[in-house]
Amino acid sequence: MSTVVRRGEQGGSARPAAHGAPLLRLLATELRWVLRRPRTLVMLGVFASIPVLIAIGVAVADRSAGPRAGLIGAIAGNGLVLPIAAMTLSLALLLPLAVAMAAADAIAGESAHATLRGLLLAPVGRLRLVGMKAFGVLVVATLATTAIAVVGVLAGLIVVGDAAASPQLVTLSGTTTGLGAALGRVALVAGWTIGQLAAVGAVALAISAVTEHPLVVLAAVLGGLIVFGVLGAIPALDWLQPWLLTTGWTAGVDALRDPLPLDDMATSSLRALGYLAVGGGLAVFRMLRRDV
Amino acid sequence: MTAAPDSLRQDGGPAGGERQEGHPAGVPAGPPWAARAVGLRKVFGPTVAVDGIDLDIPAGCVLGMLGPNGSGKTTLIRMLLGLTRPTAGTAELLGHAIPEQAAVALPHVGALVEGPGFHPFLSGRENLRRVAATEPLLLGRGGGRIIGAAVDAAVERVGLADAADRRYRGYSLGMKQRLGLAAVLLAPRRLVVLDEPTNGLDPAGTRDVRRIIEELHSAGATVVVSSHLLAEVEATCTHVAVLQAGSLVAAGELWALLKAGTGGLVIATPDVDLALRTLRAAGVTAYRDADRDLIVVAEDGLPAPAIVALLVRADVAVHEARRPSTRLEELFARLTEDSR
Repeated sequence: MSTVVRRGEQGGSARPAAHGAPLLRLLATELRWVLRRPRTLVMLGVFASIPVLIAIGVAVADRSAGPRAGLIGAIAGNGLVLPIAAMTLSLALLLPLAVAMAAADAIAGESAHATLRGLLLAPVGRLRLVGMKAFGVLVVATLATTAIAVVGVLAGLIVVGDAAASPQLVTLSGTTTGLGAALGRVALVAGWTIGQLAAVGAVALAISAVTEHPLVVLAAVLGGLIVFGVLGAIPALDWLQPWLLTTGWTAGVDALRDPLPLDDMATSSLRALGYLAVGGGLAVFRMLRRDV
Repeated sequence: MTAAPDSLRQDGGPAGGERQEGHPAGVPAGPPWAARAVGLRKVFGPTVAVDGIDLDIPAGCVLGMLGPNGSGKTTLIRMLLGLTRPTAGTAELLGHAIPEQAAVALPHVGALVEGPGFHPFLSGRENLRRVAATEPLLLGRGGGRIIGAAVDAAVERVGLADAADRRYRGYSLGMKQRLGLAAVLLAPRRLVVLDEPTNGLDPAGTRDVRRIIEELHSAGATVVVSSHLLAEVEATCTHVAVLQAGSLVAAGELWALLKAGTGGLVIATPDVDLALRTLRAAGVTAYRDADRDLIVVAEDGLPAPAIVALLVRADVAVHEARRPSTRLEELFARLTEDSR
C-alpha cells in the first residue's frame, strides 16, 4: 500500500500514536462535510431570503401607505434596522431549528448512518469527537446568522433608496448614527445571536448524544422552546423567567436604542453561557459512555 | 463439544518474527496476541449477549468466528474494539487495554462491523476521503495527496474504481460492502476485523474478499472474520472460534478442530442392536445413526481395529467401517446443536 507510516511510530523508543489525526484536519473534514450536505446549503439560502422577503413586504406596504408601527414599520424609514429585525425574528424559531438540525445530524444522524462507529474506530477520541461536532454546529449557527446579517444590510440599503446616499441608522430613540457605528451594532447583534444559538446547539448536541434518531433532537429542541415560551408567558411563574433561555431573546432590539443599553444582552449572554456549559458537559458525559 | 480444544490460548501463536514481509517497515514486533478477551460478559437488560468469554487470538492468524444468529459474535467484536463497554471482564487489542488505550491500538486496526456505514449524499470517493482524514496513520507532508493516494489504492483494491465517483445513495448492496472493505484497507493494518464481509456480494465479490483476506494474512496481519458461510471460513481461516448462546463452544486451529471431530467410526451393519450392545458392554460410546437405519456410530474408547475385531468376534456382520471426513459444516452443526 502506498501509504505513509507516522514517523513517531518507528523505533521502539518513539512515542506511541496516542493522539489520532491532527485536530485541524478533523475540523476541516467536519467543515467540508457540513458544507457539502445539501440541506445545509438549502437552509443558508432560506436564511438569506428572510431579510429580502421582509424588505419586499415593507416596500409593498409602504406603497399602499398606512400607519406603521413597531419594529417592522421602522425598517421603512431606515434600512439598517432590517438586519437586526430579521435576526430577532429568526431567533424566535427558525435559527434554533437550523441549529437543532445540525446538532441532530452531528451525532444522532451519524449514528443512524452507522458512520459514528467508523469515526470512533479510526480512532477519533470520544472527547475530540464532541469537539469536532460542536465546531460543525457552531459553523452552521455562524453561517446562518451571518447570511441574515449580510443580506439584511444589503437589502436594507437597497430598500431605503435615499438612505443609500448617506446611510445612517435612525435609532428607535430618534437619534442617528453613522454607517460604521450602525454596522458595528449589526455585528454586535449577530455575535450575541450566535452566542444564544451556541447555547441551543450545546443542549441539542447533548440530546443528540443520547439518541440515534435525529428527529428526537428536533422535537426536543422545538418542544423545549415552545414550553419555555409558554412558561415565560405565565405571570405566576415569573420567578422562573431568569432561568429560561428564551427570556432575553428580544434583547437584540436594544441595539436600535441610543444610548446602547447592554444590560439585557449581557444577562442573556451569561444565561446562554450557563446553558452552553451544562449542555456541553452532558454531551461529553454521555458520549464518553455511549455504546456505538 | 468435549472433543474440541478449549481455547486458542493453547495454540501458542507465532511470535513477532513471522510477520516481517509486507509489513509496514519499522513497526516494532507486537505481542503474541492480536486480541484477547478475558471473562468478557455483556448483559442487555434481561438478555445475556456474551457470557464470560475467554479468547486469545494469536497474531498472524486468520480467525473465523462462527455462530448462529444472536450467538454474540458481533457483541464480542464490538467489545474487543471498544465500541461497547463490557458488563464484566477485560479486552485487549494488540497488547493495549480496551477501551482505556484504544487510541494507541485502533490506528493499526481496520474494522467493518455490522455492515458498511457511509453518507448517502457523498460519492464513494468523498466518503472514503472523509474516513481517511480521520486515520492517524495517514500523515505526512502534503496530507491531502497522501489521503488521495490511499483512497485511490483502496478503491482499486476492492474493485470499485469505476463506481467511486457515484453517490453512495445509488450503490448496490455489493458495492456498499466493497466500499466498507475499502475503508478498512485505507491504512496499513496489523489487525483487520470483518463482520460478515461477504453479505450481499456476488461470487466475484466473494472471491475478492477471499483474495484480500489472503493478502492481509501473507502480509502478516491478523484477520478476524465472522461469517455464516462455513465454506468461506473453511477455505480462508487458520483458526476457528464457535459461539453459541453467548458462550465459546469451541476454539482452536481449524485442522485440529476438524481432526477432533472425526473421532467416530461409522459402521454399516444389519445387526444394529447386537452391535450396540456389544460396543456398550466394552465401554464404547455408540449410538444408532438417526437418519440411516443400518448404521452405528462409535465414539471414544477403543481404536478402530479393536472395535472391528470386537464386532466380528460377537458375530456382527460388518459391511463397512469408515472414519467420516468432517466438513466444517458438520462440525458446526454438531457443536451448536449439542449444547441446545
